[in-house]
Amino acid sequence: MINRRSFNKILLGTTALSFAACTGISELSLPKNKKRVVIVGGGFGGATAAKYLKRFSPDTEVILIEQNKDYYTCPFSNTVIAGMNKIDYIKHDYKTLESKYNIIVMHEKVKKVDGTINSVILENGKIIPYTKAIVAPGIDFKYDKGYEQGSEAYAPHAYKAGEQTVLLSEQLKNMKDGGTFVMVAPNNPFRCPPGPYERVSLVAHYLKHNKPNSKIVILDQKNKFSKQGLFQEGWDKLYKDMIDWRSVEFGGKVISVNPKTKVIKTDDGEVRADVLNYIPEQKAGKLAFDSGLVDGDWCPINTKTFESKLVKNVYVIGDACIAGPMPKSGFSANSQGKIAALQISRILVNLPLVNPPKLANTCYSLVSPNYGISVAAVYEAHENEIVDLKSLGAGGLSPSYADEGIRMQEAEYAVGWYKNQMSDIFR
Amino acid sequence: MKKLGLLLLCLSSLSFAAEYDPVKGEMLSLSCTSCHGTEGKSEAITPYIAGMGKANMYQILLDFKSGKRTETMMQKHVKGFTDEELEQIAYYFSSVKR
Repeated sequence: MINRRSFNKILLGTTALSFAACTGISELSLPKNKKRVVIVGGGFGGATAAKYLKRFSPDTEVILIEQNKDYYTCPFSNTVIAGMNKIDYIKHDYKTLESKYNIIVMHEKVKKVDGTINSVILENGKIIPYTKAIVAPGIDFKYDKGYEQGSEAYAPHAYKAGEQTVLLSEQLKNMKDGGTFVMVAPNNPFRCPPGPYERVSLVAHYLKHNKPNSKIVILDQKNKFSKQGLFQEGWDKLYKDMIDWRSVEFGGKVISVNPKTKVIKTDDGEVRADVLNYIPEQKAGKLAFDSGLVDGDWCPINTKTFESKLVKNVYVIGDACIAGPMPKSGFSANSQGKIAALQISRILVNLPLVNPPKLANTCYSLVSPNYGISVAAVYEAHENEIVDLKSLGAGGLSPSYADEGIRMQEAEYAVGWYKNQMSDIFR
Repeated sequence: MKKLGLLLLCLSSLSFAAEYDPVKGEMLSLSCTSCHGTEGKSEAITPYIAGMGKANMYQILLDFKSGKRTETMMQKHVKGFTDEELEQIAYYFSSVKR
């Protein structure tokens, strides 16, 4: 971890310090005889890229800038909301990345990545030049219909994990038996397409065992959703009549919301919630906008390298980038982080790109603690296009109406994936 | 003559196995390690595949692809790779120390 003292040590020790006296801005100059890659954002994409870059290119100086000392994963946060796991289960830190891989981890806020001077500008004014930068800013929310910044204190989105996860979990715990849990689910594209439906499933599991007279209403801003058949099969089997899913066309369309009273106006009348989980529509994280990396809501990239199409030497990975058929998932971000790191490690020493790179996504969802379902895909990056290799028979969903053994096995694999994925990113 | 025969034998056996391309092998393995752990060193229920014998692993992957061997997840992934790519993956994991 880097505090002010060790930051200054880097400034004075390994690099030359240039200091603009009139502005008071100090600059962390590029190391001599070394390339430097600065990675902004320490989630699934950014932390993976940092670790793998050091594996592929041990001589490169890798700086990972992440404002938080602890990282809470969205995957498995639904198990915390439903009381199956404590919040510490999804808490991870950067200590091993520092000690084992010699990555310089800085807990600082970044103002922007400035491609015109190949430098990252911190909120505190410090400037960090880079040879290459990787930006993994995740998502931000679009606030509208009465849901504003601050509304999450009353109607949690719990779609960035941590405090929000705990808040929604507590609200659920405090809800009376016979209450109504309402989720507003966003329109596409958004982070983790099956996430809202796994959450509803595990909330139903909690309610069935603790508050069996309660109801769940999903007001969906679209007409269909990821793994829909498999989820609905599981809901029928495990939570008969508890979950009322309303598509945007048939009663789900939200006109406005009052997060304090938890009353939602739909085009089919009012819905009153005891607990309201409002998941707003989404766009790339603010840093991507402030750094000029965005076209519309998301960041266009070169599909073989993940280099931004708008700013040279800056690579965008994870939920913020436009990766064609790849869903905005933690697994995708991990896969993209590895490929971006590999390609950058080759570009830095003038080796040809690995061509074509292959990527993957595997996504498990829990319908109950012992009932797992999955979807997977394999991708190949072509010129200007990431291709889903389903034409080769790759990928697909869990079978419908499979026996209990298969569902139980997939629930176990879901837990196995999480353990190994965390170790692949943070250890 | 004996020597020539031996040479021919070596050459012909080489022609059955693709040469290991470490860059490609490692690149392709990156998709596996998200579930099986970095370098295939699983810490969970997902099988530990680091250091598996190359021929054995390659055959298992081919069997998943042909449907001879079934499981909940593997066939969905292996079908996205050519046989040559699966062989490179097997080479890579066999080269990792257990």
